[in-house]
Amino acid sequence: MNGTNETPSLWGSIRMMPSNIWHSLFRHPLPSSDLGRAQTSFTNFFLHLHPVKVNRHTLKASYTMGLGLISLYLFIILTVTGILLMFYYVPATSQAYDRMLDLRGAVAFGTFLRNMHRWSAHGMVAVVFLHMCRVFFTGSYKPPREFNWVLGVVLFLLTLFSSFTGYLLPWDQLAFWAITVGASIAGYAPFIGNDVKFLLLGDTLVGQEALLRFYVLHVAVLPVVMTFLVAFHFWRIRKDGGLSRPPEADAPPAAPEGAAPLPALAMIGATEGSVSVIRPKRYGVQGLVRGPFTKVGNVPDNSVFSWPNLLMAELFVFAITVVGVLIVSMLFDAPLEEPVNILHPPNPAKAPWYFLGLQEMVSYSAFWGGVGIPTVEVIILLLVPYLDRSKKGIGRWFARERLLANVLFLTFALVNIGLIIIGTFFRGPNWEFVSPW
Amino acid sequence: MKMRLLLAIAGFIILVVHGAVFYDQFFHEWERYQTAYFDQARSMSKTDAERASFDGRQPKIEQLLITRFGDARVDRCTTCHAAIDDPRFESYAEPLKSHPYSEALGDRKVDGNWERRHKFSDFGCTVCHAGQGRGLEAFDAHGGDHFWPEPMLGYVTQANWRADFKDRLVGADYMQSNCVQCHTDPEFASTPLVTRGRQLFVEKNCYGCHKIEGIANGTLGPDLSEVGKKFKNDYIWESMVDPRANLATSFMPRFNLTDDETKALVVFLKSRRGVNFAETSLDRYRQSLTAVSPVPPGGAATAAGDPVAMGERLLGERACLACHKLGEKDGGVAPDLSFQGLLRDEPWLVEHFRNPRARVPDSIMPSFAFPDSDFSALSKYLLSLTKPPEYANASEIYSNYCARCHGEKGDGLGPIAVYLDPAPRDFTKASFFTSRPAERFVDSIKNGVPGTSMPPLSRVFSEAQIRDVLAYVETNFVKDPRRELKPRDIPDQSPIAMSDDSIQRGARTYAMRCTGCHGRKADGKGPNALDILPRPRNLLNRDFIHSIPDRRMFESILYGVQGTAMPSWIDYGMTKNDVADLVNYIRSLNGPPAGGGR
Repeated sequence: MNGTNETPSLWGSIRMMPSNIWHSLFRHPLPSSDLGRAQTSFTNFFLHLHPVKVNRHTLKASYTMGLGLISLYLFIILTVTGILLMFYYVPATSQAYDRMLDLRGAVAFGTFLRNMHRWSAHGMVAVVFLHMCRVFFTGSYKPPREFNWVLGVVLFLLTLFSSFTGYLLPWDQLAFWAITVGASIAGYAPFIGNDVKFLLLGDTLVGQEALLRFYVLHVAVLPVVMTFLVAFHFWRIRKDGGLSRPPEADAPPAAPEGAAPLPALAMIGATEGSVSVIRPKRYGVQGLVRGPFTKVGNVPDNSVFSWPNLLMAELFVFAITVVGVLIVSMLFDAPLEEPVNILHPPNPAKAPWYFLGLQEMVSYSAFWGGVGIPTVEVIILLLVPYLDRSKKGIGRWFARERLLANVLFLTFALVNIGLIIIGTFFRGPNWEFVSPW
Repeated sequence: MKMRLLLAIAGFIILVVHGAVFYDQFFHEWERYQTAYFDQARSMSKTDAERASFDGRQPKIEQLLITRFGDARVDRCTTCHAAIDDPRFESYAEPLKSHPYSEALGDRKVDGNWERRHKFSDFGCTVCHAGQGRGLEAFDAHGGDHFWPEPMLGYVTQANWRADFKDRLVGADYMQSNCVQCHTDPEFASTPLVTRGRQLFVEKNCYGCHKIEGIANGTLGPDLSEVGKKFKNDYIWESMVDPRANLATSFMPRFNLTDDETKALVVFLKSRRGVNFAETSLDRYRQSLTAVSPVPPGGAATAAGDPVAMGERLLGERACLACHKLGEKDGGVAPDLSFQGLLRDEPWLVEHFRNPRARVPDSIMPSFAFPDSDFSALSKYLLSLTKPPEYANASEIYSNYCARCHGEKGDGLGPIAVYLDPAPRDFTKASFFTSRPAERFVDSIKNGVPGTSMPPLSRVFSEAQIRDVLAYVETNFVKDPRRELKPRDIPDQSPIAMSDDSIQRGARTYAMRCTGCHGRKADGKGPNALDILPRPRNLLNRDFIHSIPDRRMFESILYGVQGTAMPSWIDYGMTKNDVADLVNYIRSLNGPPAGGGR
């Protein structure tokens, strides 16, 4: 009998139990070699979202600014704080506001949770928008990442909608009238406007039905849909070959390998593409994965192991996100205005800040400002990668080749931000122009 | 390595913020107060058992759940005010002071110990004091946050309240508006301010314009039945002393109330919250069914003697000059009463007092329910104002008397013009004046225009003065000379006698031709009326319709009214007979002439 196959005694099992449990949980020790790092990333459920190796360019803070990650972390913070808040919240018009008062006065960490949730939500809207700007200005939506851009735009809209549905829940004057204004903007759509509004509110006015609908959308429907789409978004990043980068970033820093390329079409299922060098290699199943970006073989290039480089960067972005949210939440309290009073609208009644650009446009023309222009904007945004088919200027900020596209997008962004600023700070009673000073 | 250092710093900050938040969450203001109370109470204890009762006590959130008064209330006030029912803490500072006992609140001494009438376990705190019962920090709980609709009455003023009267909104007597939510007896002795405010509401004629269910039925101003539920004391105060502060278009006059009067009214109005604790909604409904118009305490009955003096007093007390003008005092809303004795006679005045719309159908003057003796005294006083004004020339007459309605520029936009219906004539619409003989205008000035606010001025000004003023108006505002008119074929009398047939034909023509402007009811409020200046004539204005001869009606309809939107109907094929039917129809809409007076 081989000693290693011997069944250990009961005592032996018990003695070894802690280490067995540990090793069944973590199949690898902290990696100290490249093989270990690769194995860890590959076999760990949480880490397998990451590629084993990432391009150095991906890790450059000045390139991504971590905006996508910050959006994700804010989403996670929102989920956690949101779940905790759900323990205290009742989506009933008779109770919601009292629950807010309890959160502020009597619930341990209540104010702080609410602050974190509120500011993270506002932050997420802003950061997701900035992330979109980053992706545009670096030309990252170009093939093969077109669809991921579309996913991103959808996620941005879902973020807005999540924030909007959450806005109503405190059931104070701010919430009530912001949603009233926001829902009326939806009502300006031709033909279906009133039906959409009714579907959203479950009534002709904001009331109990609307509160319940918004609550369900906010805590169940939208987070689930977003989680799914976020996962999809990430999966596409992997499958589209990681983050966008200029072609030169793929070149290994050292002198290239001298091996001669094999004819590319020798391989079944491989596509002709931008892979310039196909190296001699025996392919396994992985080799059949379509697409030019799947890395096959351990060849010298400009990449580093995800562990620890990418993980450290992610952790760092996580840390600064949390620090930011915590500090803002400490310094500023989430607003809580008067309880809802349907007979006493504030003047002016303003939508949530990210819709104030719309409201500003609505003040000129209800249909064009509230429906026409935004719809056109969204459609154009969705179609951006299919309108701009040039392959130049990928992976660089404000690439010269993309001057026209960047100027157009910058104008779009600045006009919308400008309208939001006007709507937020320069509009007083009766939506008349006032100076904030 | 740099990355790790940054990470370490970020981690440290996270730790510090968590520490701060935890500290903030676990060390509460109220815990200190409760601990202090336990310590003090323990040291005051006379027996060991009493002392021991405090030993095991840990600070915790205390709350009273009050379900008897309206919606369930959660009052956590006793979390800080731990000694509220402990008479030994009478002289302590807040928040450990005990609630004072008072005979006025119904507290009684039984066997040397006070017994509360309003037990905290039954009433809680916010039922009387207002504030935010759920709050656990003084600022929130007392309602200091300017978003909180119910700050503690008389104790807390919010940051955005107006500084010029903020300090007058402090005082425990403001709580009386909460007392009367249960103690609804209008004469309840412990709520003198509410009683006074209710009197003032009647005396100052507030009820003329405002509605409060069960008290008043005014329709000109906002309904105040729930004003106390909707607004805070500062808003109510502000709306009274400065009506245009909150609504730029408000025409509520300034009543020049003293601070004490304003305060009483604020307390009274703050107590108006719709259904109060003492009523059921059914009571409320029954009350709303019975029309009420308050009768102010009769002035004349109480004062013996001279009704003229009595009327003069009433004119002041009932705040008539909040709207009207008399001598130097000008409310800026309603006509000048300075020479009323020269303008009107007693039957007109009394009838107008009882129901202003009996004489001026579109008047906004409320119908006040004074006793007849008051009306008579007021009339006598007004009739005693018979001293004609002494103005040197036409220009002075115009600017001192006419301009208040017709405007300094003669454009019919005098300061009180917006409150008058029909609006004062706009002299700058020259074609109206140039197409009519001067005698027509002399007549309007001398005899007034019945059914409107234009009074007969023949006794105020001499014939010469009147002609001077007319000349002044024509030179300065009309400017164009009177023009020669083509001869017009106008009958002096209606060629068709009044008959049901004629009226029916007239009604048909009216429905086809006239309703667009004059309205289906002939009240001058047709769908086009809003776009037309001057507004279409109200054809139900009985005094006016009776005052004009058939000839003028024929002229206006057949040949139009120049300077207005009334077209010349003869151009549209209307015959004399059609017009005669119309005239009969319009006359048939108006009853017999009003009972005398001018």
